[in-house]
Amino acid sequence: MNITLADLIPLQPLLIVTGTAVVTMLAVALKRSHGLTAGITVLGLLVATMVAAELMATANDQVTPLLIVDQYSLFFTVVVCAAAMFITILSYSYLAPLDDDKEEFYLLLGIATIGAVVMVSSNHFVSTVLGLETLSMSLYGMVAYPVHSAKAVKFPLEASVKYLVLSAAASGLLLFGMALVYAQTGTLAFADIASSAATAGMGTGFSVIGLLLISVGMAFKLSLAPFHMWTPDVYEGAPLPATSYLATIGKAAMFVVLLRFVVASNALAFESVVAVFSLLAVASILAGNLLALLQENLKRILAYSSIAHMGYLLIAIIASYDAEGAVSVEAVSFYLLAYVIMSLGAFAVVAALSSSDSEVDRVADYQGLFWRAPWLAAVFTAMLLSLAGIPLTVGFIGKFYLFFAGVEASLWLLLAALVLGSGIGLYYYLRIVYKMILPVPDSSALPNSAGSLGSHSVLALLLLLLIVLGVYPAPVMAIIESISTLI
Amino acid sequence: MITLFYLAGAIAIISTVAVIVQTNIVHALIYLILSLLAVAVIFYVLGAPFAAMLEAIVYAGAIMVLFLFVIMMLNLGQHTIDQERSWLSLRGWIAPTIMAGLLLTNFLYVMDGIDHGVEPTRVGVLEVSVLLFGPYVLAVELASILLLAGLVAAYHLAKKRD
Repeated sequence: MNITLADLIPLQPLLIVTGTAVVTMLAVALKRSHGLTAGITVLGLLVATMVAAELMATANDQVTPLLIVDQYSLFFTVVVCAAAMFITILSYSYLAPLDDDKEEFYLLLGIATIGAVVMVSSNHFVSTVLGLETLSMSLYGMVAYPVHSAKAVKFPLEASVKYLVLSAAASGLLLFGMALVYAQTGTLAFADIASSAATAGMGTGFSVIGLLLISVGMAFKLSLAPFHMWTPDVYEGAPLPATSYLATIGKAAMFVVLLRFVVASNALAFESVVAVFSLLAVASILAGNLLALLQENLKRILAYSSIAHMGYLLIAIIASYDAEGAVSVEAVSFYLLAYVIMSLGAFAVVAALSSSDSEVDRVADYQGLFWRAPWLAAVFTAMLLSLAGIPLTVGFIGKFYLFFAGVEASLWLLLAALVLGSGIGLYYYLRIVYKMILPVPDSSALPNSAGSLGSHSVLALLLLLLIVLGVYPAPVMAIIESISTLI
Repeated sequence: MITLFYLAGAIAIISTVAVIVQTNIVHALIYLILSLLAVAVIFYVLGAPFAAMLEAIVYAGAIMVLFLFVIMMLNLGQHTIDQERSWLSLRGWIAPTIMAGLLLTNFLYVMDGIDHGVEPTRVGVLEVSVLLFGPYVLAVELASILLLAGLVAAYHLAKKRD
């Protein structure tokens, strides 16, 4: 299974993203220019997105034991690269006033995207760990990025150190779990774990502990309760582009790995694993939604809401063992796509209003946004309604899909938590919408003109996707159906 | 052979505990070097001389000595020792000790009854390099990207402002 020249064809998206990072680095070395660096990154990510979309029709290869390039991984490569491109555009106007070098941010963003692309194509422990660490390592730098800026509004270094320490601990758990599974089965490839289960007795001994440790390590990275403590602090302390990267691409890539691992390794055949997953799901839904009620900071609200959304997604993962066919894999894929769109959209509105020297992130700051900036308020309302799961948005279809997968597997208790959580969620999402309709207060922190042309076009595109996928989801569903049978 | 394994294992555990409870940071680091060397011996006994060598050269040798030099240059005095001592209060220990003890009992319970037989197979330089330059060549490339990310982040965070 050595690498051959023919293997490079399915690897094209990964190679293009890597090339983008290298070219960015060389460009920074030759001449520092904010616009040029951002431009190269956007262009490279755009090409990678298009090439991955083009390859989706044909590619289905295992490239060395480490990476699988099938339609499923290419679909998420498209999602990851497109989202990274949007975040780059948002970063440009956000970072413009920063009184420090801005170019390395794009370099780190490019390298983080390499890690994410590796993760979505990984079906081997080695590539999982390498992709994950590449993603996290770049994120440590991105979270702490404005640390030298005298006007940095938040506490980036504190957020970065918290993220670094807890993420390293989680990686430790993950690696220990992988070592135990390896000790029992003698394989590092996901697919071989299940096939060797019959012979080496996967159910006996410490391999279940290994599976649980892997699940806990992944739960840390996905910030599922009770491993969610770091999330609100890191989200709040980090600069907005880094927060949106962490919340969308970081979570989606990890979830794709979790899905592949659970489906391929048959981990849900063990009752203890199912019990742990169910507890994580219920705890995340309840803790995420209840704690979000108490928050006054928008980034913290979105952090807790992301915890709850990860809990919803876990229901479909649990359903994947019992449900007939690939319906739960479809549900996870569709909801991940929906989550990336709406979460990125919500952060994009906040990013359009903020810059590195003034972040508008308190709920109170948004009072009267409808009268000050109707367009931004309308997009924000759409994103929040979608996060709450109101019909005609992509969030509703996604939640409906999850519900359907849960019903197929008759997970009634978990579905009750989903309904309860969505009900609580409505309150804090609508509270922000309500604040935006109130009249503008005299001392408003809102800037009069907000956002660059680039960030407004990103917002328009995300809004379009949100509504089109919410009203007419059939074409995307067809794609997801065809890719989900492969996993 | 098996005596050597248990001896090295015991030294590794004792010296790692010493790393945690030591209040003088230089002593703690020297215990850490000892612990890493003991792990290297374990690797050697289990039939992985190459891993043992890397552990000794890279971890105990390069990284730890670098640590030691940096700490010595920082010239931390009695002040930090007192601070460390104040952090090692009994109250802070109780809960983690109970939890760790529970986990340990759990782990021992599960491990009980499993055949502990270890048959060392030699994994030398040749075997490792055939894998690294064969099927795992992408892993090597990805590791270099990972290091690049660390390098760029460290450069940005550590540079002096002019």
